[in-house]
Amino acid sequence: MTYDKHEVILEAKNVGLAYDSKTILRDINLSIHNVVRPDVMQGQVVSLIGRSGIGKTQLFKILAGMKKPTTGTVIIGEDHHEVREGEVGVVSQNYILFNHRSIRRNLEIALEHNENNYTTTDKANIIKDYGDKFNLTEHLDKYPQQLSGGQRQRVSILQQAVTSNKFILLDEPFSGLDVLVIDKVVDLLLKISTLHELNTLIIVSHDIENSLAISDTVFIMANQPGKEGATITEKLDLMDMGFAWNPAIRNDHRFQDLVSQMKYKI
Amino acid sequence: MKKLKNLFQPFANIGNSSMLLLIFIQIVLALGIWQLNGGGLIPSPGKIGRRVFEIIQSGNFWDNFMMSLSLTIKGMFIALLIALSISYLSLIPFFQPLAKFVIKCRYLTLTGLIFLFTLITSDGSQLKLSLLLFGIVPFFVTSFLSVIDNIDKQEFELCSTLGMNKWRTLWEVVIVGRLDQVLEVMRQNFAIAWMMITMVEGLSMSEGGLGTLLIKSNKYIDLSTVFAILLIIFLIGVFFDYILGALRFWLFPYTKIQLRSK
Repeated sequence: MTYDKHEVILEAKNVGLAYDSKTILRDINLSIHNVVRPDVMQGQVVSLIGRSGIGKTQLFKILAGMKKPTTGTVIIGEDHHEVREGEVGVVSQNYILFNHRSIRRNLEIALEHNENNYTTTDKANIIKDYGDKFNLTEHLDKYPQQLSGGQRQRVSILQQAVTSNKFILLDEPFSGLDVLVIDKVVDLLLKISTLHELNTLIIVSHDIENSLAISDTVFIMANQPGKEGATITEKLDLMDMGFAWNPAIRNDHRFQDLVSQMKYKI
Repeated sequence: MKKLKNLFQPFANIGNSSMLLLIFIQIVLALGIWQLNGGGLIPSPGKIGRRVFEIIQSGNFWDNFMMSLSLTIKGMFIALLIALSISYLSLIPFFQPLAKFVIKCRYLTLTGLIFLFTLITSDGSQLKLSLLLFGIVPFFVTSFLSVIDNIDKQEFELCSTLGMNKWRTLWEVVIVGRLDQVLEVMRQNFAIAWMMITMVEGLSMSEGGLGTLLIKSNKYIDLSTVFAILLIIFLIGVFFDYILGALRFWLFPYTKIQLRSK
């Protein structure tokens, strides 16, 4: 499969985080490139995999601009500016939505903050289109509490997708979902990643197999012996390894071997 | 047999009709015991019931009732406006000391402040309203601030990821997002206002009111009237509690969904 790696669209440089004298994260360096494939609108899907409690959520908040790192910086965009809160969409683990608004209104609110200044008719059309595309049409006039966990997650992801943000961070998107729903989520994420060339999904998870199956690049977060604080210990270029963009990758025994190896590395 | 056993099981769900039946039986039992053991200083339920009908049929009851009700509603409305303003403003650091002071005013006794309020108000009506406001606003603010404190931090984060500024976030999450809880706080605090109304009416009796009726009956140790008025006050309170609860579900249907899903 041919592809090219173009400009860096997100980069974490020497990011560290400490509370009082306790180091949580140290020397985090990672960069995400715009991946270009011929004849395909190809966004990026990147996973950060690590054990529970290692500091993934802290890194998640730093990447989203919601928390200032103690050291280092995170830069995004073509002009490489420091990330600001609101520039990166966030889908939390418990799929937070506005419970006092219908699903339609939740999506409208997200569209109100799209830089394209859509008209009311445009918004209605976009919501209808997304509703059809992601099997949510019959739920548009319901309240979030009336939806199942999987449906809420879909709305939560779509809510972020309809803003102008090209980056969406997802905190443990496979957690607590059954196998069938996970397949739907994977499908949804892949669809979103191909809606725009610069759409970039960053998945923070401890679920190795699902994260690897969906990603083009994976960063492993772990502690190193004798050093306090988690860091990136390994980067897997799944495009280079031939595992990216393959819906049947789970059937490949080499992929399963990789999953097994990763279990020992986190 | 299983249904009977469920009545004494922790967390057992006995259904609405069974619960209503249970309440009815317990009320009948309590009234029966009271009726059979009455006859002393405390009037029997039958006597109180008859007195309730006499009071309701008397001409001055409805004037007194309307006086109490209008004062309570007026007090609730103004208290709501003041308390909401203080609560929303408390999110702006400059106004936080004011909100903190107001919630501590719950510990100030009204009795010691009557003279001050008498000096600064021009008539009995204003005096009652001022005392009522001073009495309920701190409770309102305390409840509202508790609602705001309990908002999930992730809701604010959601707003920032959607590109909302701080003012829009305040509007969406705190003001519009918690309107249903404003009504719930109102419902809970209506009881305090309704309870206080009889007290403040006793301080300025010239305009009448249920509180005035109660105090006068107490003065002449007319206990069947006292109990009858108490029963009327209790039933009106329960009625408004129900109305405000129903209004909440009607205006904000999602609150009913949340309750059902719990």
